[in-house]
Amino acid sequence: MAASIKLFARRILRDFRRNVYISASGVSPGSIHCRAAQSCRCLSHEAGGRSTHFGFETVLEEEKAKKVYQVFENVAQKYDVMNDAMSLGIHRLWKDLLLHAMNPQPGARLLDVAGGTGDIAFRFLEYIKSQEDKMRRREVKAMQTPSWQEISAKYSEEQGAEPQESGAVVCDINKEMLKVGKEKADSMGITSGLSWVAGDAEELPFGDDEFDIYTIAFGIRNVTHIEQALLEAQRVLKPGGRFMCLEFSKVSNPILSKIYDAYSFQVIPVLGEVIAGDWKSYQYLVESIRRFPDQEEFKTMIEDAGFYCVSYHNLTGGIVALHSGFKL
Amino acid sequence: MAALVRALRAGHGAGRALRVLPRVLAPHCDQKCMFHGAVLRLQDESKCDKAASATASATHHVHHDFQQAPPEDAVSEQTSDEGHRPSSSFQEQSGEQDEEYETEEQLQARILIAALQFVPVHGWSMEAIAAGAESLGLSSASTGMFTGAGDLVLHFIAHCNSQLIQILAEQQKQVQLGQAEPKKTADFLKDAVETRLRMYAPYIDTWPQAMSLLLLPQNIPEGLKLLSSLVDDIWYYAGDRSTDMNWYTKRAALTGIYNTTELVMVQDSSPDFQETWDFLHNRIQDVVNMASTAKQVQSTGEAVVQGLVGAAVTLKNLTGINQRR
Repeated sequence: MAASIKLFARRILRDFRRNVYISASGVSPGSIHCRAAQSCRCLSHEAGGRSTHFGFETVLEEEKAKKVYQVFENVAQKYDVMNDAMSLGIHRLWKDLLLHAMNPQPGARLLDVAGGTGDIAFRFLEYIKSQEDKMRRREVKAMQTPSWQEISAKYSEEQGAEPQESGAVVCDINKEMLKVGKEKADSMGITSGLSWVAGDAEELPFGDDEFDIYTIAFGIRNVTHIEQALLEAQRVLKPGGRFMCLEFSKVSNPILSKIYDAYSFQVIPVLGEVIAGDWKSYQYLVESIRRFPDQEEFKTMIEDAGFYCVSYHNLTGGIVALHSGFKL
Repeated sequence: MAALVRALRAGHGAGRALRVLPRVLAPHCDQKCMFHGAVLRLQDESKCDKAASATASATHHVHHDFQQAPPEDAVSEQTSDEGHRPSSSFQEQSGEQDEEYETEEQLQARILIAALQFVPVHGWSMEAIAAGAESLGLSSASTGMFTGAGDLVLHFIAHCNSQLIQILAEQQKQVQLGQAEPKKTADFLKDAVETRLRMYAPYIDTWPQAMSLLLLPQNIPEGLKLLSSLVDDIWYYAGDRSTDMNWYTKRAALTGIYNTTELVMVQDSSPDFQETWDFLHNRIQDVVNMASTAKQVQSTGEAVVQGLVGAAVTLKNLTGINQRR
């Protein structure tokens, strides 16, 4: 036990030194890993596909999707617990804010991509339910003294269901995450209005003009070709539909930025090791946040995909940004 | 001051720069949309918020004009649904002759106007806006473009204001052509306020909700702007060209009259709001009487003062105190 703790402490110190070296010397983050990786890669692969970033590493584009899949396969079981631990529970507020900004009307259909464990979808269903309850209560209150016209209209109208039932579809590339989400849904007792689909954000298994709202919460930075995902979002949304993206972004305040960096690189991987037993996945997580474009750049990317009225709001000082665009 | 603002209004109307976007009419236009999007990026780079903030920084008259133009465009669009716009060079370039273009603001204006027909059912709320969007074939998620139901109320008020301006301008033209008699100020004000308030008649049951929305902190500045521009326009068309303190007193008086009449109308149950128009008539008479009473009081005061001074001098003469014999 003492030996493993010593090993653990040595590992922390080594990584700490490595991180300090990287941030202090201003060396480009990928170079240290790159030099070692590329030398062995040149022996094994031809100079074939393009490369992209995987955290601070550089990998081939085909490999990134596989590596991301492995990361989430490993963390799926402890995903929710780790979210609470790393963000000190604030991620719930972020997701609640997303729902409030969305303000879905009854009858809306949601597609939650990279939805994994279904947080957004569950909140969506709750919100719609409370909206419908409010509407029903208002109707009952208004119907207290119906005029004769209203009574006759009630008799003549057909007893039909709503023209469109609201529902949520959770789509994720990773089957482990979907499994965890399905178990959560079963334990919460949600039976209808929710479906789970395995699919790639760059190539959604849905037809055109199907959904009212498309959300992707903390998932788009893991996509290899972000532009492709945005174009797919454009395709599956109905005219007038809304694209909403919750993602970690750049902090503008320098003091907050220093605290945030220190917390990200020193505390989060340690938490990952202690709680989930997986240091590397959470190292990837914090590094991928740093490689994601900032608020304005991402807004331009969304506009390029064909969305209008694009705007963003910074949450928690810029740690998280909520981007929104409309397909008009 | 009003003339200067009007000159600004004319200049700004021409230079409105907004992004255009393909209409919903052509749904399967991925490639075309991308191309359009790319070219439009080279054109004006302004989105909803920027346009709104740009107008907010201008004077309220300029903003009034901005609010005026989209409803007019929206109305004309609705009437000429399949008509062709004058083709810009961009349209000729792409060879698309059957697609219409409108700006984001025009689309928002169209949604809000369509939402008005659902107000009697849903009240002034986001549900009405969602129903309006759905009636245009858009998803209900497009209500996210609006910050709240206050947007609907403010847009409706701006729309009513622009309709009133059109009516007053038409009447002024009639007078200038000699086809109608110029009205007295009191009558003109009464007719203008009555015309304006009659536009609320179809929504009078839900109007208290709209008034409460206008009192929300985020809607107060815009509401006050629209009210002040309305009162200013009515006085302008009534022929007021004053440049002194009268400018403020006249507008303050008319604002008071308008607000109180609106409140009376909301709880009026007489046929065709007859009590409201009687109330309006009485209030305008009060103001007119007050103006003449003020003049009378002033002249009376002066006369009284003169009399007192004369009496004092006579007393001094009689008692011999006065040195100037």
